[in-house]
Parts: sequence; C-alpha cells; structure tokens
Amino acid sequence: LGAGRPAAHCVCMVSDFFYPNMGGVESHVYQLSQCLIERGHKVLVVTHAYGHRKGVRYLTSGLKVYYLPLKVMYNQSTATTLFHSLPLLRCIFVRERVTIVHAHSSFSAMAHDALFHAKTMGLRTVFTDHSLFGFADVSSVLTNKLLTVSLCDTNHIICVSYTSKENTVLRAALDPRIVSVIPNAVDPTDFTPDPSRRDDSTVTIVVVSRLVYRKGIDLLSGIIPELCQKHPELHFIVGGEGPKRIILEEVRERYQLHDRVRLLGGLEHQDVRNVLVQGHIFLNTSLTEAFCMAIVEAASCGLQVVSTRVGGIPEVLPENLIILCEPSVKSLCDGIEKAIAKLRSGTLPSPETVHNEVKTFYTWRNVAERTEKVYDRVADEVVLPMNERLDRLMTHCGPVTGCIFAFLAVLNFLLLAFLRWMTPDSIIDVAIDATGPKGAWTKQYFCGKKGRVKEELPNS
Amino acid sequence: MAEERRFRSASGAPIALRRRQHSASCRERGARPRLQLRSLSAAPPRVWLAAYGLFALSENSMVLSAAIVITLIGLIIYLHFVKIDQESLLVIGSLGIQVTSSYASGKESTTFIEMGRVKDVVINEAIHMQKVIYYLCILLQDPEDPQGVSEVVPLFQSSKPRLDCLIEVYKSCQEILEQRKTAPQSSGIK
Repeated sequence: LGAGRPAAHCVCMVSDFFYPNMGGVESHVYQLSQCLIERGHKVLVVTHAYGHRKGVRYLTSGLKVYYLPLKVMYNQSTATTLFHSLPLLRCIFVRERVTIVHAHSSFSAMAHDALFHAKTMGLRTVFTDHSLFGFADVSSVLTNKLLTVSLCDTNHIICVSYTSKENTVLRAALDPRIVSVIPNAVDPTDFTPDPSRRDDSTVTIVVVSRLVYRKGIDLLSGIIPELCQKHPELHFIVGGEGPKRIILEEVRERYQLHDRVRLLGGLEHQDVRNVLVQGHIFLNTSLTEAFCMAIVEAASCGLQVVSTRVGGIPEVLPENLIILCEPSVKSLCDGIEKAIAKLRSGTLPSPETVHNEVKTFYTWRNVAERTEKVYDRVADEVVLPMNERLDRLMTHCGPVTGCIFAFLAVLNFLLLAFLRWMTPDSIIDVAIDATGPKGAWTKQYFCGKKGRVKEELPNS
Repeated sequence: MAEERRFRSASGAPIALRRRQHSASCRERGARPRLQLRSLSAAPPRVWLAAYGLFALSENSMVLSAAIVITLIGLIIYLHFVKIDQESLLVIGSLGIQVTSSYASGKESTTFIEMGRVKDVVINEAIHMQKVIYYLCILLQDPEDPQGVSEVVPLFQSSKPRLDCLIEVYKSCQEILEQRKTAPQSSGIK
C-alpha cells in the first residue's frame, strides 16, 4: 500500500442473501466485494448454506465465502434466536481478524444477528438497507421496532437512495448524520444495446420483475388489455416468476392475447439483457422501490423507460430518459402512449447515446470508493462500551423493548465470555488471508482451482 | 531417528507430533493426544454414585451389579472403538500413503492408498461443530478424469492438530510428493 493511504480494512459482509440465490442484494454484495478487493481490502462474505453448498468457498479473485449451516426459516432468511449463531460468527470474526462487520438487508435475520454479536465483541458495524417499508400495518410496526433496536448502536448506515434514507431514518429513529446515501450500480458491460435484435415493425413493451404485489402486477394486468385494444401492433414480453403470474395468465386468456403477450417465466440474470434488447419500451409498475436497478439496466440497454413515481425512482434517472407516471392504470397508459408517440415520431434518442449516457451514472467502482470512505470514517469512531450500549438501548428503544434487548445484550455478553473461556481467542487459528494486503491469492498466480491455491499457501 | 514436538489441537488440548525419518523418501508422522485420563477416570465413579443413589431408594442390589457391568462394557467399547490414542501417517514415495489410527485398547485400523491414486495432499478448511478449522486431507485421483478429484480423505480426524502442526506435516508430505514427480517414472515399484 502506498504511503498516505489509510490502512486496509478487513470487512466481513453478512447477509442471508448471496449467490447462488439471485437478486439485487446478492449482486450488490458480490460486486461491492469485488471492487473492494480490487482496492486492496480484505473482504469475506458470510451467508447461510444453500442446499449442499456448505462450508468455505472461494469465488473470483479470492473472495472467501462462508456458507454456515444455519436453518432457513422463511424466504431464504434464517431463523433467529439471537444467540445460536454466536459461536460460529465469533470464530470467523476472530480467525479472520475482522475489523468491520457490514450487514446487508433488513429482511436478513443473520445480518441483524451479526450486528448484535459484532457489537458485543466490540467490532465496528455498518449496515446497508436495501428496501423501503411502510409504517401503518402490524408487521411493519414490529419490524420497524426491531430495526430501531438493531440500528440504534450501529456505527454507520448506508441507504441506496435519499427516499430510502428518509424512510430508514424515520423507521429506526436515527440521527440522519450517521446515514449515508450510496446508490446501487449496474455493470454497464453486461447491458449493452443491440437494436438489430428488436422488431421495428411492432412496438414491444418489456416488463422484467418478480411477479408479486409489490411490483404492481395488478396494475400491469389493467394496462395490458387497454393498450392492446388501442394499438394493434403492440406486443408485451413479461419476464419473471411469482404468485401474481396467474393474474396475467387470466388476462391473456380473457382477451385472447396469446400471440401478443409472452410470459417468459423466471429469468437467469445473464438472460435479462437478451430479453431487454428485444423491446422498445421498458415498463416498471412498482408500488414501492428504494432504488430501482431494473430501470437502470433497461436504460443501459437503450430502452425508453416508463415508470411509476414511487420511492426513490425519481432520483435514479434524469428526466429525458424516463417518463414518470402516478401508480394508476390511467396514468401509466398515458405515459406509455406518450412513449409510443415519441417512438413513432422518431424523437427518441438512439440506444447507443442512451447507453453511453447511462454507463457513466452508476459504476461499482464508484460505489466501492464511497463505501470505503464510510469504512475510513467508521474505523476512527469508538465502539460503545457495554454500559453505554445498554444505556443507549434503554433510552432509545422505549421502556419495554429497550429493557428486554438490554437484558438480551447482557446475556449475549455472558455467552461470549463463556465461549472465550471455553476456547480462548489464542487457540483459534488465524486464517491465511486470501485477499487484502497480505493476500495469498493476489500474490500467487491465479489458477482457478481451490486446491491448487491452498497448497501454495504454507510455503509463502 | 525420531523426534517429538509439542503442538495443540483445535480444541486446545496438547498433542505430540512424532517424526520418524526412515530414509529420504520414507517418513512417518504420528500425532498423539496426551491421554486425558482425567476425563476417562471420572466417568465410572459417576455412574457408580448414581447407582448407589438408586440403590438407596429402591434397595435392589441388581442396580449395583448392573452399574458395574455397564461401566465395564462401556469402558471396553470406549477404549476399543472410540478413543483414538494415536494417529500416524506413513508416506513412502514409491509406494503410497498409509494412514493408521490406534485405539486406546491397542486395536489398530489401517488404510493404505497407493501412490498412483494420490493426486495431492492439501490443507483445507471446514466447519466442524461450532468452529471453523483447518484439516489435512488426501485428494484421490478420479480414474476417469485425470483433472478431477474423486474423493477427499481427511487425516488426523480425532487429534485435529492446529495449523502450525498441519503445515509441518504438509511440508514434509509435499517434499516426498515432489520427489515422486521429479524421479523417473520407470523405476517405480507397482
């Protein structure tokens, strides 16, 4: 490392969501880790076991992934007892000499567990929130309370858009000064336009999203018949899978649109681009969205984007690239008509110009650079000692919840003391770094084989 | 010539590593947990105490004799099938690798892997109980695919030495495996 640069961090990313599961959080964690490794930090990822994928694995450029054998409860999120993951997580934190624990996604129980344990162990903590939440119904009241508890003594919080920041600050009753906004990014080389793939005799509207309520599929089922009646040359391609698929199939059945509405079912991430380039217009009907990756990907492929004006979406793209509508069938239909009119008159910018404009907006390197600044700032902060942490919990989270969690924090501390007595830190082997300043992976030739690289280690 | 060095196991218990060099291409490594007699000798009295308690309540002397028989059988099974006293690894460059584990009763179980099937010896890491530990293992060559690995044979499973000890064993294994690669293949004994 060159002089003047602050010391490299050893970052442990914790989230229930990681590859082979697919989604926004998964790719965020992966890409961010890769770029941080490139910047010379040591990064490891901790997640739960997926099927037979258990134990320790290495991904590209030495990203070490621990798949811990914890039980999955619901929606790929692990069950939490707040304590049972402590022995394994402590072992990993100690053997890897972790300095910063970075948890992802408020839906991930493991992320909250890891934050709780890391604070007990006196490590610095960062949390990234990837989603927006309501305030009114029972489930959000409960999750918001848990989030308040989890975040009140976390060093720093990262949100993906300003709307998301506002939402998180309100939900978790945080000091806005410890919340940073770092948007997501797309890999522009994965999403390149290809105008030859689309059929210019028709107008094709592409929808790529999970077919769930949150994504506004009910709106989509209202839009499809209305527009198809008005414009006989209009085609729809819908990529994605989910419980609301049945609604779209019903609509297709009722209005006899089998030749014009194609339902592709679940898509692999690498196939998304091939679907996107077949269309002229991208439609996003989300009802809530912290930061919409899909519209950036679509714009990067050179499509005209029509989207609902919800959550963080208005911040994502400049006005000339997106048509924003209210989340209603009428408004969305108007928006699409506007887009079709623009397309027919030929006033839409060419896909290449759009791609070249979008590719400068969101890059992972930029995200990593900004995340690094957060780490630098957090590294200078002090971790709350136990008594202050208890005090914070009790004053910050309400009299009942605060006391319960303060009690749990004390129990966790006692459990940690017991574990330290059973297996002192000194007898836990220090792991050989795969990445970072002393990374064996970066120094030795890269062979792509796990065994090969491992056997080189002890000689170095 | 034999020398003994002290290391610790993954759970912190002391173990002794004995190295014996028979010739340049034949080496033996033995890992022996320092026998924890304390844990062994504590079990029977506990069973007996419980039996006396039951005896005092039920006044049936069958309880006492049953307890004695059970502890005796239990001890025999424990020493004969569970308690591993010593694990050793014999690497002969031209022949193969022999893995022996001796139980506390003196029973030995031996596996021999011929050199042609050995692809490599590596250190790997795994999640074991509530810990992540390093372990040494032999990779067996897949007969159909020369690049593939058909099986992984973990070594020193009961003593579970720590990384420093594993590296020691690993290095000397690699020395012999290297000799095998550089030596002319025709002189090998099959």
